[in-house]
Amino acid sequence: MWAIETRGLRKVFRSLFGRDSVVAVEHLDLQVPVGCVFGFLGPNGAGKTTTIQMLIGNVYPTAGRAWVLGYPAGSIQAKRRLGFLPEKFQFHDFLTAEELLRLHGRLTRMERATLNRRIDEVLELVGLSERRRSRIREFSKGMQQRIGLAQAILHDPDLVILDEPTSALDPLGRRRVREVIQYLKQRGKTVFLNSHLLSEVERSCDYVAILNKGRVVKQGTLDDLLVNRSVVTIELHKVTPAVLEALQPIARKIQPIDERRVVAEVEREEQVPQLARAVVMSGGELMSFQAQRETLEDLFIQTIEEEEGK
Amino acid sequence: MGTIVILTLKEALRRRAFLGTLIILVALYGLTFLPKAFHQAFGGSPESFEMGVNLMILFGVDIIKFFSSVLAILLCAGAITSEIERGYLAAILPRPLHRFELFLGKWLGVMLFCSANAVLWTAMLWLSVVLQGQPRAEMWHALPYVLLYPVMYGTLALTLSSFSSAPIASMFTVAAGAFAYFSDHFLRPIAAFFDVKLLQRLVYLSEWVLPMAVLKRLVQARVDALAPPGMNEAPPFASEQILLFLRPPVRALDITYVGVYILIVLCVGLLIFQRRDVQ
Repeated sequence: MWAIETRGLRKVFRSLFGRDSVVAVEHLDLQVPVGCVFGFLGPNGAGKTTTIQMLIGNVYPTAGRAWVLGYPAGSIQAKRRLGFLPEKFQFHDFLTAEELLRLHGRLTRMERATLNRRIDEVLELVGLSERRRSRIREFSKGMQQRIGLAQAILHDPDLVILDEPTSALDPLGRRRVREVIQYLKQRGKTVFLNSHLLSEVERSCDYVAILNKGRVVKQGTLDDLLVNRSVVTIELHKVTPAVLEALQPIARKIQPIDERRVVAEVEREEQVPQLARAVVMSGGELMSFQAQRETLEDLFIQTIEEEEGK
Repeated sequence: MGTIVILTLKEALRRRAFLGTLIILVALYGLTFLPKAFHQAFGGSPESFEMGVNLMILFGVDIIKFFSSVLAILLCAGAITSEIERGYLAAILPRPLHRFELFLGKWLGVMLFCSANAVLWTAMLWLSVVLQGQPRAEMWHALPYVLLYPVMYGTLALTLSSFSSAPIASMFTVAAGAFAYFSDHFLRPIAAFFDVKLLQRLVYLSEWVLPMAVLKRLVQARVDALAPPGMNEAPPFASEQILLFLRPPVRALDITYVGVYILIVLCVGLLIFQRRDVQ
């Protein structure tokens, strides 16, 4: 069983009289394993939020199907076991942090004793124990995001969907969210994370899927997707056509930066020494040679650029 | 659903609707003392004083009808789409509750709040006339029908709010009310006097579209005893047919129609909210 599974999921938004239509999600096939931290990436307008809205049952698919923890997406059984932190939300600001959590606990039909215990736990986890009696209107944006995270995990859900959970947070707040994600992972929970902060995703996620124009264009474990691919920054006394020609057969992509520097990308780590050898053999005067493993950001940009170039 | 009802009541109180309630309470209290003030200042017979009190009760009942409806429109018009746009429902809808529970919870919360207000205002009206030594029970007899005003307008506004923003929902509800009022108070006499069949049909149609005139008749039947002599008498020139059109009698099915109307409008709103995308 998958934590999330979609088959041919499609969503078309139509204007009132059906004249204009926008395809937000196009034949989305997605499998999210149970117990993993799954990064859901894509440029703006790729269909990430619409996909999430379909998973939680707020938006109805035009075609295809989706299951959450084995139940149809949007069903009461599925909702009972999922927690959700929306990207754009506003809580009833006249409530205190504790009252807000109590409200969400009651909506989830939690027992009073369990609810009292969980309120203490989650407030401690997100670092808001001291502010439990403060009204939400007195909270900063970051604190509101943290209380949002607290309400998402209050009922100890098996799947937590976080839509841009760190967008309003400072580095300390981001670290706390990472800790919460790790805490959930250790407890065998599945975390579905939609974020533009790719460095955060890279630090937290086991699996990623990259979405573009409503379709999954890349999906897999981070280790598989980033395996061996390296980016090398070569600094020379002068970048000559002979050097670039020598790099051509080895590198999958070459990008001169200025007169002295060129960035080359190789498929496998073993090709890095070959690059150095080629530079020297072609008469290039090597000043520095810095290889670094491809980051998720590199993979993301490259994937999207490839897709756009198609 | 109970949690949503409580939340809606808290929201209503937060919007300072309670302050409006208090202002109307004070206004109602002051209003009913006007005949006494006039009586003390200018004198007059006990009958004219009683008539003054009766008129103030009739006026008070109209005020309760009006303000409880306005309150219901204000609270219901922004209950769905505007809350979605502001992001209030983003964290509530993924909770394990059916959409109909949310919709009905909001409806019930607003109706409870408006009904409580109408009862409070009626109690104030009753108390103030009792304090003047003129006890009347007619306002209590009319109350169940007066309560249907906020229920009808609130339900219409909530249904419109299930697909439109607060300003549009309230605008259309007020427009429907204005049309029903215009039809009953202006079109009806014109249609009767000039015997224009098309206008008469339009008046009947408006009663079906928004049964405000039906509700008015139901309330009027409970407070008719307070009306001064001659106020409700038919014009001498009118034929029986025209009289029937001008002052239709209260029929047994009137209340059923109002009930069915509210139920249908509520179901339409529920259906729209159930089927719409929320994002």
